[in-house]
Amino acid sequence: MAANHGSLDWVLALAPYRRDADYLETLLSEHGIPVRRAEGMREIVAQLEESPGLFIATHEALNPDVIDVVRRHLLDQPDWSEMPLLILLDRAAPQARVRAELTAAWPRSRQIYYQRPVTTLELLSGVQSALLARLRQRDVRDHIAREVELRRELNHRVKNILASVTSIFEMTRRGAASLDHFAEDFAGRLTALANVHSALFQSGGEPMDLAQVVDLTFKPYRAGEQDRILTQGPAVTLHQEAATTLALCFHELATNALKYGALSRPEGRVSLSWGISSETPVLTIRWVESGGPPTSQPARTGYGTRYLRSALRNLFGAPPDILFRPEGLHCTISGPLSRAALKH
Amino acid sequence: MEDPPPLRIFYVEDNPLIVFHVEAMIEDLGHVFVGSAASFGEMVEMLRDLDVDGVLVDIDLADGRTGPAAAAWLHERGIPTLFVTGQELIAAEHLTALATVRKPVSAFDLAEKLQLLRDDRG
Repeated sequence: MAANHGSLDWVLALAPYRRDADYLETLLSEHGIPVRRAEGMREIVAQLEESPGLFIATHEALNPDVIDVVRRHLLDQPDWSEMPLLILLDRAAPQARVRAELTAAWPRSRQIYYQRPVTTLELLSGVQSALLARLRQRDVRDHIAREVELRRELNHRVKNILASVTSIFEMTRRGAASLDHFAEDFAGRLTALANVHSALFQSGGEPMDLAQVVDLTFKPYRAGEQDRILTQGPAVTLHQEAATTLALCFHELATNALKYGALSRPEGRVSLSWGISSETPVLTIRWVESGGPPTSQPARTGYGTRYLRSALRNLFGAPPDILFRPEGLHCTISGPLSRAALKH
Repeated sequence: MEDPPPLRIFYVEDNPLIVFHVEAMIEDLGHVFVGSAASFGEMVEMLRDLDVDGVLVDIDLADGRTGPAAAAWLHERGIPTLFVTGQELIAAEHLTALATVRKPVSAFDLAEKLQLLRDDRG
């Protein structure tokens, strides 16, 4: 089907008399319209399968076998297709009867009748208008194909997001001390995922900067206390997966700081800074808490630590360095910039 | 009776949250999770430096529907493979993997199929 795409549409001509066939071919070729002739049933069937832009036949070409082959072709057309048929009748032919017969035999078709001798102008304008209608049909075909593709893509994405939510659900459930704790953590993680998804969607496929991801995550914690979280770093353009992963990592760090770390006390501070080393660019992100209660290695590894280790190893090939120092939590994320940055 | 030694498992999957969950399940079953890749190409690159007993492979990856090709690559090298996918019909067309773990992954299904990896490994 794609063979005709973008190229000029073509006409299939059935004219048993050589003079008619030559006339049609010359006239249409002169106007840039390719013509293919078909003689014999097998050739006709083969050409019809290639989906002509227009089918032209002289009256004498339409024996019962040909009428039947065309009928079957018309019945097998895909939904978008309504092949135009142009019939050249003789003055002496019983026109009303022929038309009635062909209309009954050929469902779902656009039929155009001319009486010979037909003027060049008439024939050409008929052919061109039929080909134009056919072109519109092919546009519809392409739209349908695109829609099918979009639906498939949408299905894939919905499944993917449901799988993400399922993972968050199962992993949150494992560590939950109570239903209330579970509900709070699960809602927080879903909100973080939804926020980064919205931001990526709103950017319309535009890349997202690391600073945008940082702002997105800390907006809820900054109301009226801007200076408790200090963020600093150069412009880094992230691909979508990296933006999502880092947003979820920052969410875990922030909620942990709020519950147990620096942000659980008014005097606590968090510094989030990042930089890029010059040779074989390495991106390093540092999260440093201070002024909070003294921290120590927790007895069991929680969701946050586990998630950071898994997701960042996935993203950068190496897990982060998480230190529970007495003065506050330190987390250093480091890896090749090429794995997080948008590839150009 | 002595416990069988843990299996070293690698996972090819482009959704990091699924990796996160499956990684935890594999560790809970007493096995070792050695790493993950998001695409066929990345898998080939990473497996160069890793010793694995088995690989889990999704059908659709970051570089397209390359899971079957990845499984064929592993099969040629004698590395036992399981598909992990919601597209069982596509997985069933390819006999290069020992079995298919259905998504969403359950611990029971995963445990059973990992046992096949061990049996195959002998």
